[in-house]
Amino acid sequence: MKLERLGLNSLLLTALLVLATRAPSLPLWLTLACAGALMWRFAIHSYGWPAPHRLLRLSLTVIAVAATVAHFGTVLGRDAGSALLATLLALKLLELRRPRDVLVAVLLCYLLLLTGFLYEQSLWLAAYSVLVVWLSIVTLILINQPNLRSARYGLRLATVLLAKALPLALAMFLLFPRVEGNLWGLPTATGSAITGLSDVMQPGSVHRLTVSDTPAFRVEFEGEAPKPAQLYWRALVLSQTDGTRWVRGESPALTPDSATQFPYHGPPLKYRITLEANDRPWLPVLDLPILAPPNSRPQWGYVYEYRQPVRERLSYTLASYLRYHTGPLASAEKRRALQLPDKLSPRVQALAQFWRANASDDLAVAQAALAYFRREPFFYTLHPPALGADPVDEFLFSSRRGFCGHFAASFVTLMRAASVPSRVVQGYLGGEYNPAGNYWIVRQSDAHAWAEIWLPKHGWLRVDPTAAVAPERVELGIDAVRQLELSGVRLGRLPAEALRKLIELGVVAQSWRTLRLYWDATNLAWHRWVLSYDRQRQQYLLSSLHLPALSWRGLLLVLVLALLCGLLALAAFTRRARPTDAAHALYRRYCNKLARVGLARAPNEGPLSFARRSAAARPDLKAEVDAVTELYMGLRYTRDCGIEHLRALRRRVWRFQPGRTSPRSLADAKAGEDARQ
Amino acid sequence: MSTPPPSEIILGRRQLYILPTIGGLLYAAALMVLLLAAVNYSSALAYVLTFLLSALAIVSMLYTHRNLLGLQVSSRPPQPVFAGDPASFQVCLKNNQRSPRLAVNLEHAKSEVGTADLAPGEQACIRFEVPTRRRGFITVPPVVVSTRFPLGLLYAWSRRLQLEQRCLVYPQPAAGDLSPFAANSQGWRDHGRNPEGDDFLGLREFRRGDSPRHVSWKAAAGGRGILSKQFGGGYRSSVWLDWESLIDIDSEQRLRQLCRWVLDCERAGILYGLRLPNKTLEPSTGEDHRHSCLAALALFPAAAHR
Repeated sequence: MKLERLGLNSLLLTALLVLATRAPSLPLWLTLACAGALMWRFAIHSYGWPAPHRLLRLSLTVIAVAATVAHFGTVLGRDAGSALLATLLALKLLELRRPRDVLVAVLLCYLLLLTGFLYEQSLWLAAYSVLVVWLSIVTLILINQPNLRSARYGLRLATVLLAKALPLALAMFLLFPRVEGNLWGLPTATGSAITGLSDVMQPGSVHRLTVSDTPAFRVEFEGEAPKPAQLYWRALVLSQTDGTRWVRGESPALTPDSATQFPYHGPPLKYRITLEANDRPWLPVLDLPILAPPNSRPQWGYVYEYRQPVRERLSYTLASYLRYHTGPLASAEKRRALQLPDKLSPRVQALAQFWRANASDDLAVAQAALAYFRREPFFYTLHPPALGADPVDEFLFSSRRGFCGHFAASFVTLMRAASVPSRVVQGYLGGEYNPAGNYWIVRQSDAHAWAEIWLPKHGWLRVDPTAAVAPERVELGIDAVRQLELSGVRLGRLPAEALRKLIELGVVAQSWRTLRLYWDATNLAWHRWVLSYDRQRQQYLLSSLHLPALSWRGLLLVLVLALLCGLLALAAFTRRARPTDAAHALYRRYCNKLARVGLARAPNEGPLSFARRSAAARPDLKAEVDAVTELYMGLRYTRDCGIEHLRALRRRVWRFQPGRTSPRSLADAKAGEDARQ
Repeated sequence: MSTPPPSEIILGRRQLYILPTIGGLLYAAALMVLLLAAVNYSSALAYVLTFLLSALAIVSMLYTHRNLLGLQVSSRPPQPVFAGDPASFQVCLKNNQRSPRLAVNLEHAKSEVGTADLAPGEQACIRFEVPTRRRGFITVPPVVVSTRFPLGLLYAWSRRLQLEQRCLVYPQPAAGDLSPFAANSQGWRDHGRNPEGDDFLGLREFRRGDSPRHVSWKAAAGGRGILSKQFGGGYRSSVWLDWESLIDIDSEQRLRQLCRWVLDCERAGILYGLRLPNKTLEPSTGEDHRHSCLAALALFPAAAHR
């Protein structure tokens, strides 16, 4: 069957769209080779270029596969697999003769599309993939419809088919039993390393805080959300310092339930966090959660570490108390919380000792320190000057410009110098409320550092020295601070309301912001309902529909049934396809031989008229053609022709060589003509 | 010639079968690979793709089946042919539903003889030839209607449809160069009178009603066309083509000879009658008479009379 140009163009477009998604992760030479194959294919059916010869195709296949293997060292895995599929697709495009070839090319497109899903699963890619599938259906329809009279009907039909398939696909998606774990090894992904947090804090060396708007995580509160100024997301506790750097230090031994053994007050706050992949194991939590997030280890300071770096989105539900008492401090913990650098500047020491001497208790010391920050000309800025060998001393007494890290580090150093157990906490502060989805977006730029001091009456207590200097940072959020800084407003001098007016957004900026929030909400819903649809969610859905849960057994049953149906179909198919009529098979072979020399039998052409036409076109073959046709007709249409006729037909068909005009057959033909005359 | 109503079959569910094509099996294999990848990588989008493609295959199955369901298959009455010439049959496909049916194939003897795209209400006829060897009726050979539309993943076909339409095959006329009129006049029984003498006047263009006896067969054999010998006066005669007049040859050979004579007489415009052991047709001429005579010859019981 001749392949239609429109269908081939549609196939090329499908292949182009699929290859375009994969091109960034393919080697350049392969991308270029694929582009070359696409163009060659286009030239074949548009400008009548020759298709590559079978030998050329074979050698191209060997070269391409060898090059792929040489490049990746393997044929397994995502990268090598998608490169190999792209290679096969490009080669298949050069070999399109029958509708089935087109189908194989389309199937390769599907597999290639799938490898893309192992890298990215965004909503965009999903929509793009539906477009690709639609186009592939158009291709198949056009290829299977020999008359182009109703090409537009084909386009519409593809849309209708897709529309009818979608609900069915949805049902399968929801009901197909999900499996936990995997069948073979997962790729060792090198996840995106976007993070605003680091387990080393070195405020003096950073003179410019890079701010990334990438979301760190999203939070949905059950019930009313606390005020933004209360949203301190704790992720890391840094307790060891050498004067310039702050690190976590060695953890004291933890009792398993150390997070839960203290009295809490008030109702718990329930919330669900969806953490973005960040290649770090720290799980942000709000204050003190009642239970650790699943699959995590508690660390010293009521923070949690996931069992591995978070390489794909992770959701966990927690309940936290905002008012609590963490109880007494073990001696090891106390030692740790009072560790000071070996060299402490005398000025810092003196300042701390002065507060200690004039204060009745630890709390008063902390208050004196905060008052000091407020009173002296400290400025909050995102672009502080770089500091020297003793950043704490330099910051406290000369530069006095810094961001949260500077304030937290100096405050904790002062507290420890005044014998108040304290530590630095890293995490995030605040977040942006998204009314479109009723959740909060916490971005990497919301990263924050603050201090905690231990008081006998309260246990660990949060103290944010940044708030003393720049309450805007706490009340308005980092975004406002950035904008205020850009417009040259000095922080900590004007009331928050006035500042808020200053940074009010215009209509366009406001709409753009709303649009972005809606898009973010859509993505979260996409993630919640599609990407993270797993066994738990399925069971939840089924139980809410009062249906029994599906299991491995159900999956196996489905697979076995499908396999049985497939085998039955295969059996029936092969029986049907077997040429029961040997004469017919031989005749078809004879027709193929004639077709190779340009004498193709039309579908509606009877053997007799075909024989007449062949004899007219090739008089030298007349004798053979007549003999074969007569034998075939005898075998097919009369009952009294037996096995010897079949043998004769077979002999003649095998010897039939229309491509080679042997002198003998010419002589035969001549002799026949003479005899007739 | 009376036209029997064309027999027709409307394809119902029980007449249709459907199975995947080889392409469909490849598609299923690809789906299996997709599913395994989806399960292994727990990739939601891979699941979505797998299920979307599976659903498309299922929906296309309904479409493939529907492409044939309710299709009206009928056949046009075929023209009689002489044995040895191919009989030409026409099978018509009519779409009675409101959506089009595309790429409907007609198969005969396991090979595709034609494809039709049918708009709503449209009818398309596909002609195909079947060789004939013997006189008598041959029925329309069984045909199969099939389709792979829309995606080529499934092959739906009807069971072999036997349409109640027959093609009459006349006996093969005996070789034309043997002129029965000159060599063997036994077959000719003159019943007309010849009142106007028999003086040869010359040749003229043959006219309807001229006696075959006056046809210059020599001239006809020489390829100069059919010319009548002109005698002193024209007369109107009729001849009997008689089975009994042919002896020494077997009955099939006799029938072939009679067939040749019928054709010759009809061409010459002579009134001719046919006398067979089982049937007698009074002398006449014309298309209908020719058909009646040839049909009588075609349907003459085989081997009944030696």
